[in-house]
Amino acid sequence: MSHATRTEAREVNSVGASTSAIHCQDLSKAYQLYDKPMHRLWDLMKLGGPRYREFWAVRNVYLDIPHGSTVGIIGENGAGKSTLLKLLTGITKPTTGTVNVQGRVASLLELGAGFHPEFSGRENIYLNCSILGMSDEEIDERYQSIVDFSELGDFIERPVKTYSSGMYVRLGFSVAASVNPDIFIIDEALSVGDEHFKGKCTNRLNEFRDQGKTIVFVSHDMGAVKSMCQWVVLMDKGEVLEQGTSEKVADQYLKRAHARGNERLSALNRGTSEYPRWGTGEIEVTETEMLHGDGTESHVFRTDEPFGVRLRWKAHAACAKPVFGLGVYRSDGTYVNGSNHEWRHEPIEIPNVAAGDEGEVEMSFESMPLLQGQYYLTSFVYDHSKAAPTAIDHREHVLTFEVLDPLHHQHGLLYLPTLWRSVRRSADGREDVRESRR
Amino acid sequence: MFAITKSVVSQKRLLKDLVVRDLKARYVGSSMGFFWSVVFPILNLFVYMFVFKTVLNMRWSDFSSDGEVPLIMLVGILIWVAFSETVSRTTNCLVENANLIQKVVFPSEVLPIYLTGSSLVNMTLGILVAIVGVVWFAYVSPTVIDWEAVRTNLEPGEPMPRVMGLSASLVVLPLLYAMQALFTIGLGYFLATLNLLLRDTYHLVGVFLTVWMFGTPIFYPSLMVERAGFGWLLNLNPMYWLIESYREVLIYGAWPDPMFLARFAVAAVVFYACGAAFFHAQKDRFPDLL
Repeated sequence: MSHATRTEAREVNSVGASTSAIHCQDLSKAYQLYDKPMHRLWDLMKLGGPRYREFWAVRNVYLDIPHGSTVGIIGENGAGKSTLLKLLTGITKPTTGTVNVQGRVASLLELGAGFHPEFSGRENIYLNCSILGMSDEEIDERYQSIVDFSELGDFIERPVKTYSSGMYVRLGFSVAASVNPDIFIIDEALSVGDEHFKGKCTNRLNEFRDQGKTIVFVSHDMGAVKSMCQWVVLMDKGEVLEQGTSEKVADQYLKRAHARGNERLSALNRGTSEYPRWGTGEIEVTETEMLHGDGTESHVFRTDEPFGVRLRWKAHAACAKPVFGLGVYRSDGTYVNGSNHEWRHEPIEIPNVAAGDEGEVEMSFESMPLLQGQYYLTSFVYDHSKAAPTAIDHREHVLTFEVLDPLHHQHGLLYLPTLWRSVRRSADGREDVRESRR
Repeated sequence: MFAITKSVVSQKRLLKDLVVRDLKARYVGSSMGFFWSVVFPILNLFVYMFVFKTVLNMRWSDFSSDGEVPLIMLVGILIWVAFSETVSRTTNCLVENANLIQKVVFPSEVLPIYLTGSSLVNMTLGILVAIVGVVWFAYVSPTVIDWEAVRTNLEPGEPMPRVMGLSASLVVLPLLYAMQALFTIGLGYFLATLNLLLRDTYHLVGVFLTVWMFGTPIFYPSLMVERAGFGWLLNLNPMYWLIESYREVLIYGAWPDPMFLARFAVAAVVFYACGAAFFHAQKDRFPDLL
């Protein structure tokens, strides 16, 4: 279910507790993994054993989150973020260490779970609120604002099973947000729903922040974390790798994502032979490499940094006029760009290639224009000496690469060099002109 | 045990909402809705009358009146169904509500209680039907027992026929309810916890409940068990004590056997204490076990 709230006092530590909303020390959580279910029972009855293996999902975490701060927790899948959140909310108990939480907690670990599909939105609001520990009067008082916020209108009287997933999420968030918590814990719940509602949620969170409430926010989305949080905690394999200002940690995160992405993508690229390849075969493209500005090979690039693609080729037979080209596609198949070295204001020709010749063709950019996402390349060699160009070596999907955009300054497909200009005229006739080129 | 009881008391409101939800969920979407809870026992009553009285010509004793056997069975079945349905549902309740337990700070101890409460409310509707039946067969259209014939024809060892009716003994009903709830919840706590440790529990419980049902004198008189030499089995079966007590009160207007009441009370308290203690001891581990 979406949210946990209970005013029940967890033990309050006298040391340092007065200034921190959340304070954890040496926090660890081990799960006991059993190979056979019966072993668990034997262990319970203390018949020999122990028979389990331990898995430490969270290890030696120290956190000190002051009242009124917004903290982001980032890390890969399986880094222990969700377990940490469960420990903070009190859903699971730590194996070692302590958690001190001061104030009413609401958590959105999963939106709208605990809804009964056969019941109307109204009935589900009442039940959910009472699970959250609200009294009848509190619910009556907040009911209208919950319905208004969810924008469900007449649907509120319809069974939840008839809702679209977006409506479901809206209802879940509205209920959770109505709790009016001191500490709000969110697990990537905002990544669903349409843009309009996402905006509303973000506004709500900003309101919370302005009211001096504490927000803990878990996400993969570095951009979202960066825009929301001043303090970021980077987790890996259950441990806190680094915590600090968002700039500092975000940088570290991207570096790691870089290294990891390279590893993953080079593995992926080694096995791309299943994509179609055709042509007459006089010339063969033997290798396709993507390069950073400094000439090192990579499969992960950042927006706005220099990059290049190099094709190595070898001729098996003579060819009068081969032309090399490249196509860039986004992972969903959107054709982003295609070009070759012949169709230009200043064409390059490679005339009369003989068997046994070899060489390289390079295309480079001063600035990577793509925004965050996964892309792939298609390379082709065509014979332009004939009336209609014929394929010599056409390789679909020859290389996959990823683009990371640490800045998140622009959205969409392409980073465009925009010029912004603002003119303001005051009543006294003064003119204030400002310009920004980047 | 006390920790759990205390926490449950503090969750009264949530408990009420869950019970209401569960009762509504039984018949949500059906046009007759809650009315089904009344219709089912009535239909059952007629079915039993037809099968056991008309076709099988079965009697609790040779001189029982028309409505007696079906009503005895109806009461027995109502109690049993409320009990077994709750036990089987509570065994799985933690698994079924995994998302509540894993995603929310949720007082899982209310789950077995709301399931018990919901089935007791449902059972009450059936009991009201049974009471109407007793009133009909005892007062509106009574079967007159020919005591003369009874005295001359009763074989030695046969029980005397009994007269149906209602009396002040109905005041025992709340006590029976409370003890039944305690017993069911205790067993539910135990089995729900065990089911997390070993998921086979749920399937075993299904089989076990069937065996238990046929081992309990619901469809046959207890006298037949004693005659078959299995009377000791009845002395081990708390559900027999409970069902007999209900029958005494609801069908004959008599006071239940104090021995049965005392034994069942002890069983209920012991079950509740052990079940709640086990549940409480393992409760912190629930989110990890799911």
